Amino acid sequence: MVTWTPLLVATIVISMVLVALIMFRPAITIGKGGKILAFVSLFIFPVLSGGGGISEHMERSKRTEFCLSCHTMADHGKSLRVDDPSFLAAAHYQNNRVPRDQACFTCHTDYTMFGNYKAKLRGLRHVYVQYLGKVPDKIELYSPYNNRECLHCHQGARSFEEGATHNAEPRRLQQIKANNLSCNSAGCHETVHGIDKLSEAKFWNEVKEDGSK
Amino acid sequence: MDRNKLERRLRTSGALLLAGLGVELVTLFWSHSTAFLLFIFLGGILIVLGMMIFLLALLAAGEATTPDDSGKAADRTPEVRAV
Repeated sequence: MVTWTPLLVATIVISMVLVALIMFRPAITIGKGGKILAFVSLFIFPVLSGGGGISEHMERSKRTEFCLSCHTMADHGKSLRVDDPSFLAAAHYQNNRVPRDQACFTCHTDYTMFGNYKAKLRGLRHVYVQYLGKVPDKIELYSPYNNRECLHCHQGARSFEEGATHNAEPRRLQQIKANNLSCNSAGCHETVHGIDKLSEAKFWNEVKEDGSK
Repeated sequence: MDRNKLERRLRTSGALLLAGLGVELVTLFWSHSTAFLLFIFLGGILIVLGMMIFLLALLAAGEATTPDDSGKAADRTPEVRAV
């Protein structure tokens, strides 16, 4: 996977060198060439650096480690390693049904920064609460989870389309696809993170790429 | 705008931009939600301020070097002056 971070770092370093040049030798801007250099150094390069930085940080905010960097999310991070296949988040994470480095974002794609403007405003409010307010004891979604997020991957999959439970009643599959019957309904995939069950859960030790645990 | 004032503004702009770019560079090596906040609210503001001061300095320098209307009229009709 191509990573643009080294290029961005190089752009920022070059920007800093050029800015320092103008700052410590402003007299070079007397000539036409110096004026052009000043414009490139004090406008073009900072714009490129800032734009690249925004892009890089937006990509990073999709990463699991970013989401779990707030201690409020510690239990949610722990829930990914529960050794119980009925825990939906754990089953998806441990079996690579979602990319592990973007596990949170893959399912919560319309959350905070990646949703509409209301979601973005909520994200800012979360930041405010995290640092200046009181984090609620129980964290819940603002609205019921939309089946659209599940169907993004599962629609068309044989296990979903032909699953016995999904076809147990005549219109059940259509109701699921229309978001009239939640995937997280009681009796179905109701345990997602299972935060209230973590104290009794066993945990899986992830096998790393080098084979160690 | 006299030369000293322009150079002072260039230095101020440069200082703000250096600070903002420095903050951006540091936040790139820190994967945390706080890094994102610092980038936007500290680095971003410093960079934008620095660019604005530079652009304002350009505008002010441009106004100072614009010739006035009487000079322009005289230049356009040299035959009038000769008479």
